[in-house]
Amino acid sequence: MTNAIQYTKRRFEALKGAIAAGDEDEPLAVTGLGEGVGVHLQLWLLVGMVVFPILVAVVVSTKQQGIVTSLPDLIPGTYAVENYREAIVDYGFGRFMWNSLLMSVVVVVGKLVISVLAAMAIVYYRVPYKDLVFLFVLFTLLLPVPVRFIPLFQLINDLGWGNSLLAITVPYLASATTVFILRQHFLSIPNSIVETAKLDGVGPVKFTLQVLIPMSRGVLVGVSIIMFVYAWNQYLWPLVIIDSEANQVAQVGLQLLQGDVQGGQLSWSLVMAGSVLTLLPPLALMVLFREPLLETFAIQQK
Amino acid sequence: MSTREIFDGRLEAALLLAPTLLVSVVFLYYPTALAFRTSLFDAGFGRAEEFVGLENYLTLLESSAYHRSVAISVLFAALVVVGTITVSLYLTFLIHEVDDGQGWYLISVIWPYALPPAVAALVFLFILHPTLGVLTGPIEAVGFDVDWFNDGPQAFLVVLLVAIWKQIGYNVIFMIAAMKDVPDALTETAELDGVGRLRRLVSVYVPIMTPTLFFLVIINTIYAFFGTFAFVDLLTSGGPANATNVLIFDLYREGFSFFNFGVASTKSVVLFLVVAVLMVIQFRLTEEYSYYGA
Repeated sequence: MTNAIQYTKRRFEALKGAIAAGDEDEPLAVTGLGEGVGVHLQLWLLVGMVVFPILVAVVVSTKQQGIVTSLPDLIPGTYAVENYREAIVDYGFGRFMWNSLLMSVVVVVGKLVISVLAAMAIVYYRVPYKDLVFLFVLFTLLLPVPVRFIPLFQLINDLGWGNSLLAITVPYLASATTVFILRQHFLSIPNSIVETAKLDGVGPVKFTLQVLIPMSRGVLVGVSIIMFVYAWNQYLWPLVIIDSEANQVAQVGLQLLQGDVQGGQLSWSLVMAGSVLTLLPPLALMVLFREPLLETFAIQQK
Repeated sequence: MSTREIFDGRLEAALLLAPTLLVSVVFLYYPTALAFRTSLFDAGFGRAEEFVGLENYLTLLESSAYHRSVAISVLFAALVVVGTITVSLYLTFLIHEVDDGQGWYLISVIWPYALPPAVAALVFLFILHPTLGVLTGPIEAVGFDVDWFNDGPQAFLVVLLVAIWKQIGYNVIFMIAAMKDVPDALTETAELDGVGRLRRLVSVYVPIMTPTLFFLVIINTIYAFFGTFAFVDLLTSGGPANATNVLIFDLYREGFSFFNFGVASTKSVVLFLVVAVLMVIQFRLTEEYSYYGA
């Protein structure tokens, strides 16, 4: 198992190199083939299709009315500042974004802390029924939100947490995926290091702070990005459990904006401004931390 | 392995595990148990619960509307899986084949991993809007009438396109790693033998990438069943005439439009069985491949 992880890691290592190097002379494919203009042409076409919808959104968010009924209409407008200001201030998108950020940060930090503790116990403690406990945690993979949101709705309301930050954070804190990834990573830390720590009589707190965390930086960043994207993009659960605009998150806030468009009170350019705003945080984090992210995905698949 | 276990305070270990276990029990296991229990009751807002045994299950077994929803979901999942894997595999292959600009191509196709489903849905609603859409004009110019607010199959197709678009990034991330893993010697041999590009992809790369592709089939199926709620909710609300009423949307409506918590819980149990089956398959396959992989 550990070998497999090391191996996959090396594969991703190579990939990271290529991405970090960006454009420049770091060809990954040792194909020996002349690459042909055809391949680049096809790539441009396909990349264009993948990016096109978002480019439209960006362009429309700069226009006055947002009525863009033909391709020549796709010339950027000059209303960007006004549109974004209006969306953020007048239509409460600033509030939605803040709520999303709060939710995501609480989920990421909470999940990270309690998952590190759990993985630490599972890997470094000599306790009975450890495997059973790990299975118990892993089994929650079978229980995604869609399977339990009806009873969870009742439970959260019974607890009196309805429409609160608690409702959209606490149920997300236990994470089989995060515990699994951390456990795999901890198991790949060389035994010699762990044994040295033991011989030095290092206690659990010191071990965590001085050995485990420094040796896990990449993975910790990687799982944080995965968790952030996951939390930020939640739609169904906030939709059912949050029932005031003041506490709503950006995903559902978009739906509220769109409702106003259908009602004719709002221009599409504001909805597109809201969409661009909602996309930015997870996109920025992903682009910024793509290396540790890819490295962490390599562990997840095993 | 055992040398890794350098601490033995049992109480300490229990305390470290407590938060994860507590949240798991209270917010994951308990609600699931509750769903199983409520599935045996007639329950809803403002009425007393009444035990009805397996009546809710029989209702679903006999409901043609529910059968239709199951059929739509299965068809949808199959098309999402095939569409996503085909497009992603070809994209990955093209990126793998170029020497220049690999990093840029890669980032410009894997970014939809971060794309919020609600944003994906709204952007498509806008560009394919039957009267306002940017692409509607060009599409209608070639003689195709864009009318997915009224036309079921068209609506289904729009939701499908969004679902595939959003999932490409995640797939390419895993595929590119697997494709790099193909030994260079194989590629060279294939080239010496005069094997064409596409043949090389299908006959050399795909067989070697099988474990990753299986993994992605399962992940994409789970995504198609559970991760597509926002698309349906924002684009079609399950319509027109239930043409896009996939199981997860159907469940949401049962619970929060009709407030039939009993039947909704029964539908939750059905969805639980779907995830369970998929996860068991994935677990089996992972085990099988790890044998000959390591």
